[in-house]
Amino acid sequence: MFLALKEIKYEKLRYGLIIAMIVLVSYLIFILSSLSLGLSKENTAAIESWDMKSIVLNKDADLSLRQSLITKEQAHDLNLGNKQALLGQAGIVVKGRNHEKVASQFLGIESDSFLAHDLTLTSGHKPTNKHEIVMDTAFQDQYHYKLGQSVKLNSLTTPYKIVGFTKNAKINIAPAIYGKLSAWSDLKNTNSQFVASAIVSQTKDFNPHVDNLKSYATKKFVDKLPGYAAQNATFEMMIGFLMVISLIVIAVFLYIITIQKLPNYAVLRVQGIPASFLVKATIAQSSILVLSGLIIGALLTTITAFIIPKAVPMAFNLPLLTAVGGGLLVISILGSLIPVKTILKVDPVSVIGG
Amino acid sequence: MPAIELKNVNKYYGSGSARVHVLKDVNFSAELGEVVLILGPSGAGKSTFLTIAGGLLTATNGQVAINDINVSQLSKKEQNNLRLNEIGFILQSYNLVPFLTVNEQFKLVDKVKKSGNLSSAAMHQLAEKLDIVNLQHKYPSELSGGQKQRVALQRALYTDPTIVLADEPTAALDSQRVTEVGQLLKDLAKSQNKAVIVVTHDLRLTDHADKIYDLNDGQLTLRS
Repeated sequence: MFLALKEIKYEKLRYGLIIAMIVLVSYLIFILSSLSLGLSKENTAAIESWDMKSIVLNKDADLSLRQSLITKEQAHDLNLGNKQALLGQAGIVVKGRNHEKVASQFLGIESDSFLAHDLTLTSGHKPTNKHEIVMDTAFQDQYHYKLGQSVKLNSLTTPYKIVGFTKNAKINIAPAIYGKLSAWSDLKNTNSQFVASAIVSQTKDFNPHVDNLKSYATKKFVDKLPGYAAQNATFEMMIGFLMVISLIVIAVFLYIITIQKLPNYAVLRVQGIPASFLVKATIAQSSILVLSGLIIGALLTTITAFIIPKAVPMAFNLPLLTAVGGGLLVISILGSLIPVKTILKVDPVSVIGG
Repeated sequence: MPAIELKNVNKYYGSGSARVHVLKDVNFSAELGEVVLILGPSGAGKSTFLTIAGGLLTATNGQVAINDINVSQLSKKEQNNLRLNEIGFILQSYNLVPFLTVNEQFKLVDKVKKSGNLSSAAMHQLAEKLDIVNLQHKYPSELSGGQKQRVALQRALYTDPTIVLADEPTAALDSQRVTEVGQLLKDLAKSQNKAVIVVTHDLRLTDHADKIYDLNDGQLTLRS
């Protein structure tokens, strides 16, 4: 540690540049991870808020909520408990006076279901009739809708009144609007034969035992959300590649620095300083550089979290960022082990003589 | 018992037709309290002699003993410890660690050799003798060639070794400093009972030597 700190103090510019490089790499990885998590959450935030364990869909809907419809007869045969709830989903466009149009997802729920009961509002109250709606806070923050304002949904002429706002009501990257299940059939433009799109269950083992309905685990359902798996795989690959590239870049830098120090190490070896001491100093130095870079990168990420526009789908999760940072630290220390063999082989004889 | 003794030491580099016989049946000994000079021109084998005597390089054949310990029978770690505890190297100038101040060059040794090093008072006294008291917080890049050489001397003596091996210790010094360094090495040998072996081609040091060897073309001969 002594040698490591002294050298960093002496060669401020050189080591400052290396720390700057690590800061940029870690910042990029942190931001990408946060973006990945943010987008992932925007796909599933509403689903997570339901604490759903399984979902029952029409067998022919190919695991798609928007394609699924449950008929009155099927619903009649279902034996729903308080852990199951009917859910109606419809793709809608929200239009408010002097506001831009927003593509959204309407989620129709029953007032006495757990979905309505668990709905946490940031302001206002839950819908009491079919023309009242609760919107995701994105409508408030990004599109400046207000409580009490009326909006039109799709081409329907009936206005819907905003009576509340709720956080994390997003599904498939669209802000959701909660309303009565009775409003759903109007918006979905279905006939009275259909009562909902799906049954959401908070138990894993709920089985409808009804023809043409099938129960799916939440993970299977989420993975089939349009674009969700591909998007996650893309981010995971980007972050993975970035980690590997970081490992190579950091390892190359540390190797070059170590090679430049070999004449000094040879002098120390002549004096009887053990090679293990020099190896420890090199690893300590790498750890200091990477930790400093990670801390500054994390600080920059924190500042970014405060100033980034709300429209950017980023989510900052401390355990995730800690794991990413830890991973980067581990691969960097592994990278710093590459020149160890060179240090062990340093020839003290090289500094004897003119 | 000699502090350092080389018996019938030969050293070859390379093999086949490229084989070079660098040291030829070298016999050498230095007692505690002696300053021994190895004089020779460039390419005579002085550096090879020094590295073998210091346990840094293994002789092709022959025996090297330091304080009666056969160096070739020691493991790398034991040779390392022997260098750290028993031998002080004075290398040619510019061999100080560039990112450590003069004072830190010694603190570094403290990290691996916790006891038996010179006390602060003894170090101060030595620095005074070498006229480098005011340089203790300077980096090597801020020192002149002569100052670096004197710091290297102080560093070599810090571990209080029994044997001092010096490689051209006066190469960067003017005549007055050469006399001072020569006298210091002599004082060191006499007052602290150390064996001081100096490899050089600087004839200005001969006045301070107890024994002089000539090394020419790998052959070492003691001047009568």
